[in-house]
Amino acid sequence: MLKSLYKLALSDNNLVSSLPPSIGNLSNLSVLFLYNNKISGSIPKEIGMLGSLEGINLSNNSLSGEIPASIGNLTKVNSLYLSANNFHGSIPQEIAKMRSLIDLELANANLSGLIPASIGNLKNLSYLYLHLNALSGFIPSSIGNLTNLIDLFLHCNKLQGLIPWELGKLQSLHQLILFNNSLSGFIPEEMNNLTSLVAFEVSENYLIGHLPQQVCLGGVLESFTAHDNYFTGPIPKSLKNCTSLHRVRLDHNQLIGNVSEDFGIYPNLNYLDLSGNKLIGELSSKWGQCHNLTSLRISNNNLSGELPSELGKATQLRVCDLTLNHLTGGIPKALGELKLLFNLMLNDNHLSGSIPPEMGMLSSLVHLNLAANNLNGSIPIWLRQCENLLELNLSVNRLSGGIPSEVRSLSFLQILDLSQNFLIGKIPKAVGNLKTLEKLDLSHNKLFGFIPSTFDDMLSLTSVDVSDNQLEGPLPDNKAFREASFEAFRNNKGLCGNITGLEVCSSKLSSNVDRKKNSKIVIATVVPILFTLLLVFVVFWILSSSKRRERNTENTPR
Amino acid sequence: MAPLSVISLSLCFLLPLLSPAISTNSEGNALHALRWRLSDPTNVLQSWDPTLVNPCTWFHVTCDSNNHVIRLDLGNSNISGTLGPELAQLQHLQELYKNDISGEIPKELGNLKNLVGLDLYGNRFEGEIPKSFSGLKSLRFLRLNNNNLTGSIPRELTALSNLKVFDVSNNDLCGTIPVDGPFGMFSMPSYANNMRLNGPELKGLVPYNFGC
Repeated sequence: MLKSLYKLALSDNNLVSSLPPSIGNLSNLSVLFLYNNKISGSIPKEIGMLGSLEGINLSNNSLSGEIPASIGNLTKVNSLYLSANNFHGSIPQEIAKMRSLIDLELANANLSGLIPASIGNLKNLSYLYLHLNALSGFIPSSIGNLTNLIDLFLHCNKLQGLIPWELGKLQSLHQLILFNNSLSGFIPEEMNNLTSLVAFEVSENYLIGHLPQQVCLGGVLESFTAHDNYFTGPIPKSLKNCTSLHRVRLDHNQLIGNVSEDFGIYPNLNYLDLSGNKLIGELSSKWGQCHNLTSLRISNNNLSGELPSELGKATQLRVCDLTLNHLTGGIPKALGELKLLFNLMLNDNHLSGSIPPEMGMLSSLVHLNLAANNLNGSIPIWLRQCENLLELNLSVNRLSGGIPSEVRSLSFLQILDLSQNFLIGKIPKAVGNLKTLEKLDLSHNKLFGFIPSTFDDMLSLTSVDVSDNQLEGPLPDNKAFREASFEAFRNNKGLCGNITGLEVCSSKLSSNVDRKKNSKIVIATVVPILFTLLLVFVVFWILSSSKRRERNTENTPR
Repeated sequence: MAPLSVISLSLCFLLPLLSPAISTNSEGNALHALRWRLSDPTNVLQSWDPTLVNPCTWFHVTCDSNNHVIRLDLGNSNISGTLGPELAQLQHLQELYKNDISGEIPKELGNLKNLVGLDLYGNRFEGEIPKSFSGLKSLRFLRLNNNNLTGSIPRELTALSNLKVFDVSNNDLCGTIPVDGPFGMFSMPSYANNMRLNGPELKGLVPYNFGC
């Protein structure tokens, strides 16, 4: 018996099978590290005999069964890590007897049932990780007694009821993570007292009322997420000068507030999503000073005013989504400075003026959606430099001029929607070179002439709409055209083809290619006929001249 | 790769002490594993933070309303390295679009029965088109053109009844071209520039893999 053994560390191996009950004989064991193995079976109740234990780490194994109540006997244990296992049942309330516990981690362990209220007795507890389980019932208010608590992770469980006001007593609390539960009611006022908060995450619950106005009281708040709740009321006042902010997600609530007044300059802000609220106000030029901002999403609000050209200074921007607002004015040229921007969505606003050619400088652009605005002028040829474009949607605007043949440079384009504009001219052959184009909508424009024969080779096309134009001529020999319905072609000048509702093409309406084909057929048939006729004449002439010779010899005198 | 292994080693060391280190989200883990497989000189994958509970706010990842990954957009991203079998974890993945990747196409990708589109064109993939792709029952688009693929077009692909777009041009494929199922409607440009590809299969008259 290894009675003198004080440290057993066999982590990061391939140990399988279960912990033997005889483990209880290791009476001097101080440290038991068996994490990152494949140990199965349950933790034997004999573990409660290891009175000298100070640290236990059995995380990331295949342990099953219930956590034994005898674990409460381990009064010297300061860190208990049982995360990433497949236990059954609930957290034993006896765990409250482990009075030396500083760090308790039972995350991702398939635990269910209630969080025992007795857990409030663990006065030394600094880290409580119970996340990613199926814990139900209420958050015990006794947790408010854990005055040394630094991290409280209860996210991704099935907790319900109110957030206890007693949590407002946790002056040392750095991270309060409660997202993805079924918590309801208001956030207690006492949450405004927490001066050490670095992360406050309550997203994906059923919370109502206002956000805590003093959430950034200590000036160290980095992560503030409350998305997908039913919050009303203003943007917290303390956010304006909260320069420590790194990640803010308040999307999908019913927040009111004025974005120009309620926000300031955030040198560390990386991700911002305020979409789906009732925010008003204008986009301030201050956003240009957020030099680390990669995501700016404020879609589906009531923003007004113009896009500030200073936004072009936020050069780390990857995603800019301001759809469904009431933005006016033009698209600033300076936006062309955003070299890393891959997603620019400004659709469903009241933007006017023309699309600046500087948009061609957005070399990383993959999705460009400017639909449903009042943009005029022509489609800038400089868009050809956005070679990474997968989706180009300029529909429902007042664009004029022709479709530039420079679109051929967009060799990865999958969606091209230019519908509902005032585009004129012929559809350039270049459109047919778009080998990866899946969806093409040119409907409701003033395009005329024939659909180019290059469309025959559009291998990827599956959806097409050219209705409401002045197009004529036969449909191209392309699968997407053959499989489309009449709606995709109606209200044109004279499109013809084998679609019910369309005229069948007559020979007069042949395209240039067909005319060449026809002339080839003509030559192929006429030449042999002429040749045969010539042969017949020659034969006839030979025969008739030999008859004449006979007649002549008959007529000469003897 | 040395600095990467230092980073991942130090992450493991800090595992018990840091806030939720690796999430249980299997799709996030699969993408995380993919990230370490690939070389990403322009930091396109910088936003791929494994401490987040799901990958749905990662850039170039699109999720549906159930937080399942439905699309990966990594085209033209200067990425190199290889793909791995962990991608088969992305059960609801609908589109995979890459560039500059080499090595073989993992046969495990054939498990993605909800995959709607697969764009691996314009890379340096080698080896054969996996026969397991016959398992891609929802597949509508398959673009493998412009790679270094060899071997024949697996006849098993004729089972893909939803396939609408097929492009294997600019490879080094051999054998004959299937004519059954969806292959009846693909035209010659789908197969262009495969020097050893011999035209439509002549059933019974010539072996399917003629010329391989």
